[in-house]
Amino acid sequence: MLDVEHLAKSYGPIKALRDVSLSLAAGEVRAVCGENGAGKSTLMRVLMGVSRPDAGTIRLDGGAVSIDSPQQAQRLGIALVAQELSLAPDLSILDNIWLGNRAVPLFHRRKEFRRRAAEALTLLGVDYGLDTPVSRLTMGQRQIVEIARMLVRDARILILDEPTATLSDVEIERMMSTLRSLRTQGKGVLYVTHRLGEVFEICDSVTVLRNGANVGSAAVGQIDRARLIALMLGRSFTDMYPAAAAEGACDRGLEIRDLHIPGSVARLSLIAPRGRITCIAGQVGAGASAVTRAVAGLVPSATGTVLLDGTPLQLGSLSQRVRRNIAFVSEDRAAEGIFNRSVLENLVASRVTDHASCGFVSWPSLRRFAAQLCAEVTVDRGRLGAQAFDLSGGNQQKLLFARALGGSKPGVILINEPTRGVDVGARAEIYRLLREFCQRGYVLLMTSSDLEEVVGISDTVLTLYRGEIVSTYQHSRIDMTDILADITHPVTTKAA
Amino acid sequence: MTVGETPSAGRGITRLRLRPPSRLFLVRIVVMFVLAGIALATPSFLSAPSLTTLLTTISFVGCLAAAMTFITISGNIMSFALGAAAAVSAMVFVVVLNAAGYATAVIAALAAGAAVTAAQGCLVGFLRTNPIIVSIAANVLIYGVAQRVTNNETVQIGDAFLHSLLKGKVFEAPVEFIVFLAVIALGQAVLSLTVFGRNLFYVGSGLRAAETIGLPTVRTTIGAYLWAGLFAAVTGILLASRFHQANMEFALRYDYDAIAAVLVGGTAIQGGNGSMLRTLVGVAAVSTIQVVLLLYGFREEWRLFITGLIVVAVVILYSSRQRQ
Repeated sequence: MLDVEHLAKSYGPIKALRDVSLSLAAGEVRAVCGENGAGKSTLMRVLMGVSRPDAGTIRLDGGAVSIDSPQQAQRLGIALVAQELSLAPDLSILDNIWLGNRAVPLFHRRKEFRRRAAEALTLLGVDYGLDTPVSRLTMGQRQIVEIARMLVRDARILILDEPTATLSDVEIERMMSTLRSLRTQGKGVLYVTHRLGEVFEICDSVTVLRNGANVGSAAVGQIDRARLIALMLGRSFTDMYPAAAAEGACDRGLEIRDLHIPGSVARLSLIAPRGRITCIAGQVGAGASAVTRAVAGLVPSATGTVLLDGTPLQLGSLSQRVRRNIAFVSEDRAAEGIFNRSVLENLVASRVTDHASCGFVSWPSLRRFAAQLCAEVTVDRGRLGAQAFDLSGGNQQKLLFARALGGSKPGVILINEPTRGVDVGARAEIYRLLREFCQRGYVLLMTSSDLEEVVGISDTVLTLYRGEIVSTYQHSRIDMTDILADITHPVTTKAA
Repeated sequence: MTVGETPSAGRGITRLRLRPPSRLFLVRIVVMFVLAGIALATPSFLSAPSLTTLLTTISFVGCLAAAMTFITISGNIMSFALGAAAAVSAMVFVVVLNAAGYATAVIAALAAGAAVTAAQGCLVGFLRTNPIIVSIAANVLIYGVAQRVTNNETVQIGDAFLHSLLKGKVFEAPVEFIVFLAVIALGQAVLSLTVFGRNLFYVGSGLRAAETIGLPTVRTTIGAYLWAGLFAAVTGILLASRFHQANMEFALRYDYDAIAAVLVGGTAIQGGNGSMLRTLVGVAAVSTIQVVLLLYGFREEWRLFITGLIVVAVVILYSSRQRQ
């Protein structure tokens, strides 16, 4: 159906695409994998008519086409579901499905339009009320509405850009079944993803990009995980996760007793010892991130007892948290992590006072400190003057980790979703750093909805379902199937 | 801008960022040269009286623009009540001067400016109210109360104190200008060298991020307004000293000139980025245009019109850069 041949595109001196070829048949789901900067976005921009290629041909049903504009792409039946959804939250599902469609008259509530919108939703195997405002839907449901919008536009080729990046596991499951029905309908899907598990679960074939070129295309049955990672990274990648901590006794560290957070967590108690990585696993919305936020003093309504090394901590007090050396790394890097300033200023943000006397800062001291932090988290020291937002997701995350270091003695690091928006290569680096901090005696309490990561990195896993802890697993007893069962259907686990 | 920002560039230790200069930077350089050319080509621009006029105008608006810079960097966009604060300070200065002498008057005026402005900072800091709305409300409130208290009268400085006022010149520059330069230097030092200044940039460039790492966001916001109030009060004191009187009409439209100066200087309107040195450049540019217009005999309405155009032009230039 779609054939892309020898596509090339340069932006100035940067060759975003060198020589990319791929084909897509009707009813095929093809994964497009690659690290950040491999050329995935440029490929999508070219297919959507946003960028014109410098060389190469795009064929549709055998005939060469030129895609000059997004409108042209829509006419040809190519549609993109971007990561940033383009839905109007206050409008109904029906309105959103027809929004921006070239075939719609001013008033479109006629029967035919309702029927076609309903049909599209049925095709996707969901049953939402057409008049429900989109603001009431979850992220995953919104994504499906966006796909339905593309279906009423008679899209034959759908490009999905990391649709599951922000979804919980249940919603991912629904997305997978949506993909299956798209396949049954004979649509072609280009599925851009960072999550390798999904490649094997849902895709028929995979194309790997690296530095703007194809480094391999294969049917999913003919490739395995290790080979796929090796292709993406360009080197063999034996172990993503560092070795776990040795079993045995350890200091108490952080102790949470009867934590109550109105609206999300009922009564939660846990112990996160020093030198261990403790992970709260749960779906998005289960309340895991609220627990770390509460300990960080960011939830004023939280009640309960929190002890650090046996001494109580006043909940909701930011100043005390800073004094006790408790750092919090949010999952929302852009809004709650990175300042729109230089790398240097971002590194030292929480410790300016330590390098000041009588209210005056010492810049030489701050610079030395920043350079030392750079070395600890392996960020190039030459980039201290660069703008933090110009760094890759992985490097931004390292900055936030670095900020959590420092202080007179190892404290507590609370992290939500440590590798969200971080590509595969940088992930391993982040896991290594987590383990290293932990060996230095920090308390590490993290939350994650990425099961593979939970199993790979944790020493202790607590599974959370609707604000309640289901079970606790230690070391070798950590098992992905049990965890998945806990966080999705805790009743069956309890019965077993 | 080719050069890293003030704190790093000032020391010369950190390397300069070697990016090609942005279009905005080039535009700014060209505009400066064109402006200087027009100014120098203007008959009688270089005469002593018009230069003195230029420097005193720069100083009055400049202190207010320095005040505005704190608020803009803190992420609270602009204030429309700094002119009002300056007028209140001028009134307080004259009244206290007549009653209690010079030193007390300066302190009282500074305190008055700081108090009315910091009160707005409290609303913005504690309650997260929209800073523009707060400043507009404060502006109306101040003028309303002042009208009731003063009956629209002008207060005069008593003859006994006329001799002790700041007058005369230092190295041929009016003393107001020296005060203005001192204000800029002090402001820049506060921004780059103090913990408060650093926190101000953090709060301005990411309020939620600042909160997340436990920085004192409320205190910092109020601090920004406090410094703004102090600097606005300096404008009030300078005006009262120059004209030997004070009324609430003083500094009436200075807010707009100060906003234009801050924007032209290149302090980011969304907060978290900027410097007093940029404001200095901005004030110089805006004031030069106004003096040149004055020398060519344009009337007041033209002056306003041109100031408005400048603000619009700068805003367009910035938004086009952001879209790039």
